[in-house]
Amino acid sequence: MPATADRRPLIGIVGSGIAGLRAADAILKCEVDARIVVFGDEAHRTYNRPGLTKKRYPLSGALEKTIAEDVRVKGADNDAVTWRLGIRVETADLGDRILRLSTGETFEYDRLVIASGIRPRTSARGDGECELHTHRTLRGLGDARYIHHRLQAGEKVTIVGAGFVACELASLAKEYGCEVLVLEALRRGPFESVLGERVAMTLGRWLAQQGVTFLTGDSARKFLCEAKPSNPEPASDRSLFIEAIGSVPNVEWLHGNGLDLSDGVRVDEYMRVSPWENVFAAGDIARYPDPWAAGNLTRMEFWKNAIDTGDLAGRSVAASLGHGSVTSRIGYFPSMTTEVLGLRIQIAGDPKTSDSMEIVCGDLDRPDQGVLVAYLREGAMIGAAYLDKGARFNSAYIKLLRSLRER
Amino acid sequence: MKIVVDRVKCQNHGQCAISAPTNFELDADGKLQYQEAFDEENISDIEDAVDACPLQAIQLKS
Ligand SMILES: Cc1cc2nc3c(=O)[nH]c(=O)nc-3n(C[C@H](O)[C@H](O)[C@H](O)COP(=O)(O)OP(=O)(O)OC[C@H]3O[C@@H](n4cnc5c(N)ncnc54)[C@H](O)[C@@H]3O)c2cc1C
Ligand code: SF4
Repeated sequence: MPATADRRPLIGIVGSGIAGLRAADAILKCEVDARIVVFGDEAHRTYNRPGLTKKRYPLSGALEKTIAEDVRVKGADNDAVTWRLGIRVETADLGDRILRLSTGETFEYDRLVIASGIRPRTSARGDGECELHTHRTLRGLGDARYIHHRLQAGEKVTIVGAGFVACELASLAKEYGCEVLVLEALRRGPFESVLGERVAMTLGRWLAQQGVTFLTGDSARKFLCEAKPSNPEPASDRSLFIEAIGSVPNVEWLHGNGLDLSDGVRVDEYMRVSPWENVFAAGDIARYPDPWAAGNLTRMEFWKNAIDTGDLAGRSVAASLGHGSVTSRIGYFPSMTTEVLGLRIQIAGDPKTSDSMEIVCGDLDRPDQGVLVAYLREGAMIGAAYLDKGARFNSAYIKLLRSLRER
Repeated sequence: MKIVVDRVKCQNHGQCAISAPTNFELDADGKLQYQEAFDEENISDIEDAVDACPLQAIQLKS
């Protein structure tokens, strides 16, 4: 599509998720006179991905439509924006500023925003069938529709992994009345890599108390595909088997451009992809200088992170076209909440990089009564976690966060 | 402008209370309590709360 008559700059955004949407919104807000084209390989306009695991939906023939309407996110409704949905960007030539699309077309851009996100990792090859299971993962609306539909039947479900998505799925399945088996072969409990062993063990016990079968180590391994045929235990099991074992950044379409794609797309503090001055990245895929640990790079897979980095990428695009200057850097304060079988889990700061922890109040044996944990590195607080059924210590938690934020 | 929270969508995650404690608060039972009216000087905190809600339950209406 060469821009012959229209002399406005052409901005391509790859990814129609929240980061792509917010980049488009920010460009519009800066009143840049440009045309924006958003490419998304999902058939839907932007939706609230976290909403996919947060609640049950009633049985209905139009489940996908019900969920889609429920999680719809508004924004970037403007004549300057064209949505090309159901279209994949297959390759990019950043030197020649050309994208090649799944339709066979090419697209020449003046500015490019990379917001293609991540996809779930899976241990399955090809079509997801192994000798023992049919592997499933959850990322998109289509996956959610399928999984909600299966869970509605109240059948048995096996969930591999014990991170956020795995735990939320376990909760959801339990609410639907399913028999739930959670397998975590590598760690002793949920969120261990973030919150440490003690909290992880507490959460593992919590799952078990709520009626989830939670297996770790070799007991978990027995049910995984790696189980040897000589092991009599695992029979082929075609009940719902969902893996939530981490993520893979969607970078393949960027290969061949000499970028550092070892863990997402590396950007500077303005979300620019060096050495190209007209290429930017945002959201789950962007690995940026950690405002919390000088000299480190970080990549976060959180909703608010995608919003803040998407905003910033959009403002940087606008600045590169002479609209406003980007003065602000990433101001993101990492904080997230999840609910696991009635227990609210809030995490803030960067507990992953701590070297010790301290119980501020409460008792890890009674998480439902509230426990507040501070995470320290070299004696200074760098993160916090709060478990509670109600919100007894919420104001104490918020106070902790305030001091974290003002460090 | 005033704050409106969709109570059906809201799951009392309290992310809003971290962004804008002036207007949002979880009570001891963990239920969200909020004030509709806000001072214009707090608008950036309020907008931050709108964005931070993972359920997209908060809206600003005039
Ligand atoms: C089940 C679930 C629950 C979650 N819950 C929470 C929560 O409670 N709180 C929280 O903070 N975060 C949560 N998250 C994480 C949050 O949803 C993400 O951080 C956020 O959606 C990332 O947005 P993004 O725009 O960067 O990426 P995405 O939303 O992944 O958007 C990228 C889009 O680009 C498309 N794409 C990829 N490659 C191409 C290509 N080559 N061509 C065209 N299109 C392409 C993808 O299909 C996708 O539509 C959850 C995630 C999941 C899956
Ligand atoms: S962040 Fe959203 S879901 Fe959580 S309490 Fe606030 S409004 Fe409700």
